[in-house]
Amino acid sequence: MTFNPTRRQVLLGGASIATVVALGGVHPAFAAADRSKITVRVDKDLSNLDPANRSGPVDLNVIWSVQQGLISFKPGSTEWEFDAAEELEQVSDTEIRFKLRSGLAFTGGYGPLTAEDVKFSFERFIKPDTEGKPVTYAKDWSALDRVEVTGPLEGRIILKNPAPALYTIALADGSGRIVSKKAFEALGEKAIATTLIGSGPYILKEWTPRETFVLDINPDYKGPIKPHFQQIIGKPIGEQKTSEIAFQSGEIDFTAIDPENGKALAALPDASITEIPAIDYVWFGPNIEKAPFDDIRVRQAIRYAVDIDAILQGAYSGLYPRANALLAPSLLGYWKDAPVHTRDLEKAQSLLAEAGHPDGFKTKLTIEANARYEAVAQIIQANLAEVGIEVEIEALESAAYWALGENDASKDLELSLIKYNGKFDPGFQTQWFTSAQVGQWNWQRWKNADFDALHEKGGVTVDPAEREKIYIEAQKLLDDSAAFIWITHNLNAFASRKWLKPGVLPNGNNWLYTAFTEATA
Amino acid sequence: MRSASLQIHLAFKLTTALLAVAGSVVLLLTLTRLIPGDPATVILGSRATPEAVAALNARIGLDKPLIEQVFAFFRRLFSGDLGQDVFNGRPVLGLVLGALPNTAALAISAMLCAIAFGVPLALLSARRPGGRVDRLVAFLSVGFISTPSFVVSVFLLMVFSVTLRWFPVLGAGESGDLGDQLWHLVLPTAALAAGWIGYIARLLRSSLLEMLGENHIRTLRAYGVSEAKILMKYALKPAVLPTVAVVGMGFGELLGGAVFAEVIFNRPGLGSLIYDAIRTRNYPVVQGGVFVIVLLYVLTNLIADLSQSLIDPRERARLASGRGQ
Repeated sequence: MTFNPTRRQVLLGGASIATVVALGGVHPAFAAADRSKITVRVDKDLSNLDPANRSGPVDLNVIWSVQQGLISFKPGSTEWEFDAAEELEQVSDTEIRFKLRSGLAFTGGYGPLTAEDVKFSFERFIKPDTEGKPVTYAKDWSALDRVEVTGPLEGRIILKNPAPALYTIALADGSGRIVSKKAFEALGEKAIATTLIGSGPYILKEWTPRETFVLDINPDYKGPIKPHFQQIIGKPIGEQKTSEIAFQSGEIDFTAIDPENGKALAALPDASITEIPAIDYVWFGPNIEKAPFDDIRVRQAIRYAVDIDAILQGAYSGLYPRANALLAPSLLGYWKDAPVHTRDLEKAQSLLAEAGHPDGFKTKLTIEANARYEAVAQIIQANLAEVGIEVEIEALESAAYWALGENDASKDLELSLIKYNGKFDPGFQTQWFTSAQVGQWNWQRWKNADFDALHEKGGVTVDPAEREKIYIEAQKLLDDSAAFIWITHNLNAFASRKWLKPGVLPNGNNWLYTAFTEATA
Repeated sequence: MRSASLQIHLAFKLTTALLAVAGSVVLLLTLTRLIPGDPATVILGSRATPEAVAALNARIGLDKPLIEQVFAFFRRLFSGDLGQDVFNGRPVLGLVLGALPNTAALAISAMLCAIAFGVPLALLSARRPGGRVDRLVAFLSVGFISTPSFVVSVFLLMVFSVTLRWFPVLGAGESGDLGDQLWHLVLPTAALAAGWIGYIARLLRSSLLEMLGENHIRTLRAYGVSEAKILMKYALKPAVLPTVAVVGMGFGELLGGAVFAEVIFNRPGLGSLIYDAIRTRNYPVVQGGVFVIVLLYVLTNLIADLSQSLIDPRERARLASGRGQ
């Protein structure tokens, strides 16, 4: 038997297949939204689920939804609320008393959550691990002396010194999560990195490395936080463009996006764009140990020569807010009267002439290689060329760029463009500009004893009003140095389905999956 | 005598293959450590203290001298251990073996697709060189070759995923669901195969034209053998030899070079595993992944080399006469 199709048969067959595919061939991934679950994009896979050795916000966001702390952040704010604790009292500058809620229990049959688990979880940070090494986030609890258990559900946190930042840096953050002592001892430190046992609103039902993770509601959860969605599916997608395409195709319901693409995505019929000003700090500045930057007049000239508004327009599409000082508006210590340095070429030229460089000089600007920072660098290059400063741009791949913070590598830098992620306590931000950080993360190599003292004082001052004054004073010193030319605090943008209200914290990197809810019309 | 010659030939090929694998791995281990950056800055954030960095490097064994780490790698290799992921201690072998099927499926399907379209296009072209079909195939082939696969990928995604919603964007499909996995394979296969279709079509066309000008083909024509039979039976087989070698190399290249397609389509394959590991300086994963890719590359080349020896009568005769290496 032979098969000799005619041209008509071939055309008919082809048309039939096309029709079947067009009518019924839509992939199940695009099926109509099931509102009991959401699919979110994370920019990298889960890595280490041990709160003491976690690896960035993707891990932390999952840890937060599975493990409780005494307190946790309120959705969308830098304030905290009670979580596993029903009482928490700052008895003195160095003592915090807590009382746990009753009835909280760990999943996997690891028993009730007790004050012993709290003691074990927090003291892990100040003791070496099984191999005799400190845990990765040991610094978060550096003020901790001990935790005393005074009852099955009660205890006292004793500090070596006052530490007002402890609430936002440790207690409400990842380092304040309570792990099960019993589970830790049964599974071992290594397994804890990939097995998440908690008492929180969700359980980590599944984690297929590099493909997906699934959070399901914990049916035995007895705490105060009420999650909305039955299931949260996380998809690690490294490429921003791929995640935006996946959002357009309907495969994911929530993703961080480049704010510049917000307008295009907002045009989709079922999309909603959320923008949240971030608390990062992006700036550029010279290494002041190197000539000619050791002369403040040269640094001031550079500040006058560069047009920050043009940078925000050209490299950030005019969408990002301008930064005039270190701390973002939402943080304690925000300096609202910080001077707005505007471009003045005449002043720049006269300062350069005064400093003995009427014809400018040659220098190098080191940046982390990506399209945005390259655009920023090019505008700086063009601006400085107008006063005779010839800038060579050195763009380094991410890991190579951040390696400049090790082994005193920053001593060879001239100008550098830097972005640091912010945390909710101002002391976290100021620490990188202290004298002790020269050779590490103070790449401008600026040393100021008054600033160091203010940073120390801010770290142990408990009164918020007093702390605010301290951090504003510290920022004035940064401004006086002319070594830091602030650009922006960044902007976070997210695309989500119209029916979804995301639970993002003000830094933009941290999400409370428990706070993702259905949007009201 | 003949069998001895074949054995020597095989032994020579195997030895060079093993040396190539070992040399590549040593080179890679050295190069990855020479570039600045380490996993500590990734784990601890960009502003870790030197003490924390040192502690972490000691924890994951990066405080040892490079030479010691290279020897440790080979020592572990002989016991089937490729090391552990520095971030969570998962065995690298498991990660590589988990990713390999996704990459192998993509490479095989892309190459099969390229052959399935490239060979007929070459035959059509070679039938009437300079004709309308030949010119059209030449135009398409050059177009396919010169369009980068990531451009094709994005185009396919915009048309078939975003607009028509026929094919998914993300991943490799549900494990255990063959239909879903094949569904997820369609667009990345098309994106990767496009360039190879053009390449195979051009390469095979040239070989066919060369072959069609040979004396024995002219003799066949004189005997009145049909053009289709000449093309399919007498010209294609010898003409396909250079293409076999290229396909062999190409397959090896696809195993490691499918990075773009894997990253854009978010497929958890070997290429994207290594890409992510390089970005985070996860050295054991880079070493393990590249070792497997080099091994497969060398192996596919070896197979292509040996199969060429078997297909080509001249090579067979050379080996049979004992003139092989």
